[in-house]
Amino acid sequence: MDAGGDTTAPAPGDAEDLEATQFSNEAAGDSGGGVHKDPPDPGDGGLEDTGSKAKDQLPGELSSLPQSEASSGTCELWSPTAPGSGPMGGLESGPGGQGGDPSSGDPSDEDWRSQRKHVFVLSEAGKPIYSRYGSVEALSATMGVMTALVSFVQSAGDAIRAIYAEDHKLVFLQQGPLLLVAVSRTPQSAAQLRGELLAVHAQIVSTLTRASVTRIFAHKQNYDLRRLLAGSERTLDRLLDSVEREPGVLLLGAVRCVPLARPLREALGALLRRCTAPGLALSVLAVGGRLITAAQERTVLTECRLDPADLQLLLDWVGAPAFAAGEAWAPVCLPRFNPDGFFYAYVARLDAMPVCLLLLGTDREAFHAMAACRRLVEDGMRALGATHTLAAVAGLSNAPSASAPAYSVQAVGAPGLRHFLYKPLDIPDHHRQLPQFTSPELEAPYSREEEQHRLSDLYHCLHARLHSTSRPLRLIYHVAEKETLLAWVTSKFELYTCLSPLVTKAGAILVVTKLLRWVKKEEDRLFIRYPPKYSTPPAASVDQNAHNGFFTGL
Amino acid sequence: MKKPDVKIVLLGDVNVGKTSLLHRYMERRFQDTVSTVGGAFYLKQWRSYNISIWDTAGREQFHGLGSMYCRGAAAVILTYDVNHLQSLVELEDRFLGLTDTASTNCLFAIVGNKVDLTEEGAAEDQEKEEGCSREAGSSCASAKVSKQVKLEDAVALYKKILKYKMLEEKDMPAAEKMCFETSAKTGYNVDHLFETLFDMVVPMILQKRAEGPPQTVDISNYKQPKQTKSGCCA
Repeated sequence: MDAGGDTTAPAPGDAEDLEATQFSNEAAGDSGGGVHKDPPDPGDGGLEDTGSKAKDQLPGELSSLPQSEASSGTCELWSPTAPGSGPMGGLESGPGGQGGDPSSGDPSDEDWRSQRKHVFVLSEAGKPIYSRYGSVEALSATMGVMTALVSFVQSAGDAIRAIYAEDHKLVFLQQGPLLLVAVSRTPQSAAQLRGELLAVHAQIVSTLTRASVTRIFAHKQNYDLRRLLAGSERTLDRLLDSVEREPGVLLLGAVRCVPLARPLREALGALLRRCTAPGLALSVLAVGGRLITAAQERTVLTECRLDPADLQLLLDWVGAPAFAAGEAWAPVCLPRFNPDGFFYAYVARLDAMPVCLLLLGTDREAFHAMAACRRLVEDGMRALGATHTLAAVAGLSNAPSASAPAYSVQAVGAPGLRHFLYKPLDIPDHHRQLPQFTSPELEAPYSREEEQHRLSDLYHCLHARLHSTSRPLRLIYHVAEKETLLAWVTSKFELYTCLSPLVTKAGAILVVTKLLRWVKKEEDRLFIRYPPKYSTPPAASVDQNAHNGFFTGL
Repeated sequence: MKKPDVKIVLLGDVNVGKTSLLHRYMERRFQDTVSTVGGAFYLKQWRSYNISIWDTAGREQFHGLGSMYCRGAAAVILTYDVNHLQSLVELEDRFLGLTDTASTNCLFAIVGNKVDLTEEGAAEDQEKEEGCSREAGSSCASAKVSKQVKLEDAVALYKKILKYKMLEEKDMPAAEKMCFETSAKTGYNVDHLFETLFDMVVPMILQKRAEGPPQTVDISNYKQPKQTKSGCCA
């Protein structure tokens, strides 16, 4: 496969090229007889997730292996790398088409290579769909190699899950006709990276539905999905950025709530419950990607649960700049709820505040009914006097991070504490349906991107060790170069704290005790304790039974 | 609630500048926009009338909703990029069909946007180029060249549309009046475009009112049953 030809013309041609390459690859193996037996051995061991040990000799093996096996055309695909250039170097052959421009995604470009984490989405036929960095056009050849790796392992009746190579991890995830690949040199575990890829896939499904993706590729194998995803790349970019900036969401599988006094939150919940429209299934109030409150219609979503991942997806979605003006009406799919069908979403900012109302319904013609519903919510909020409070909550954010409402770690009053993630686990049964976590804003010394990355990496490391499948831990005290961390999981909570590097072990325990006491005191404000739902009589008292259905019904 | 009297819909391919045009008109400024999701609804007060404007997404992904946005529309603004011939072709291929649900005497305006990027109007389009390189690299590659789409091409399309809609040319506004070239960036012709259209739809509002109940189903008239419920806020 000729890389130069590919980059200049990423048109229908290259899919066929690639298939031809795969065939010749297999053919070479078959005709080679004995050759077919030999190469898969190092490959199988190295490519399987179960190996879980870094195999630094792997890139060398990979590049040398097929050379012995394949002839002519295939060689170029597997051409050996310059020493020390990492696995991506080994995968790339020939010069990229658009040299010069650092953002071109030319894989030989230093900027492109030095990214911490790459995420690629491609079709089974090897057609590029998305790349976190650079333009996908320049990456046809690289993506071709990924397809080759996958089908090579597949031809042996196996599935490639991950490659561990020196300082890089390559994680592969096949979802229907889509192949997702993460190439990371962060310390994230393969399982965590797989979680990220799943989130990327969910994002794609939410705009197109799984059924239509499947149908498109069944109909035309080399379809260019970018035509349909055009404009969604930014959403994927934002999703992947948020993993580093707010590691808690994916790591803990929980949503983050806006801290709010419980009476006000409950009044808002009751308001949402009261303002209904035909076919309305779910109403959500959010600000800056965080949840204020949500309510769901039991008659529409009976006996099914709203997965926190779906809720988070909606929170991210309505935070998009596309919804900053006007009243939007758009289809959206909730991948965990039903990956094959669309809901119709009404999204609007309330009273020109960053507070966002999302009304999710099943009727595609219901825009005006939803718009009327929104006005009821607005009127109700004014009557509650909530507008002012919410504006204050939204305005509390430190300027650059847009409209992220939050609190400072200073509020805890525990000197030495820099940041933390806290996810309650000791919650009433119904509450478990809405996993939540809380964490303060990132402040100095975590204001710069590289510092945030370091903290995110540390949290990921601790998380991976706490939840290690082979040897799970309950408590970790970790002294890192620039900070000390303490992670602790009990039956009541999961906690990650980041402390000053000068803290002693006894001091750290004191800080954590203080933090836990603070969270306990503030929990009504930090978390949604009693998620509301529809179809309950608007009782004044907080009756456990009347409230126990929110996400159980979902 | 301000009930919209009439509906206008913006249609056109990805990245031709529909949102920017509307933003320029409503907010009087030009700024980087992001790809529209679905459709966005705006209400514009024009004289004593409420004009609703739907800014739709050009992405193929949202085509399913296209006919819903267009239902009962009094005017459709078909937008293309003067530097990108394909965007004019797409109007006929992909977007014209969506207007079948529009009102029977629907007006059509054909708008060539981004004239500032042509040779005559070329200026500082560097950041523009970067801004959209991800979404539609091909259309930006042609920046600063001579205009690819002539006004005559738009006029020809306009006549074709009338034929497709089986409308008599003499009953409809002249093609020259309904084909515009604009720049959302500089604001060139933008007010002219919207205000010409508004002036044209006003008689339609009056006519509709005189006729009594509308002949096309207007979902905005749909009464909510739950509105009868008395509020119990406190």
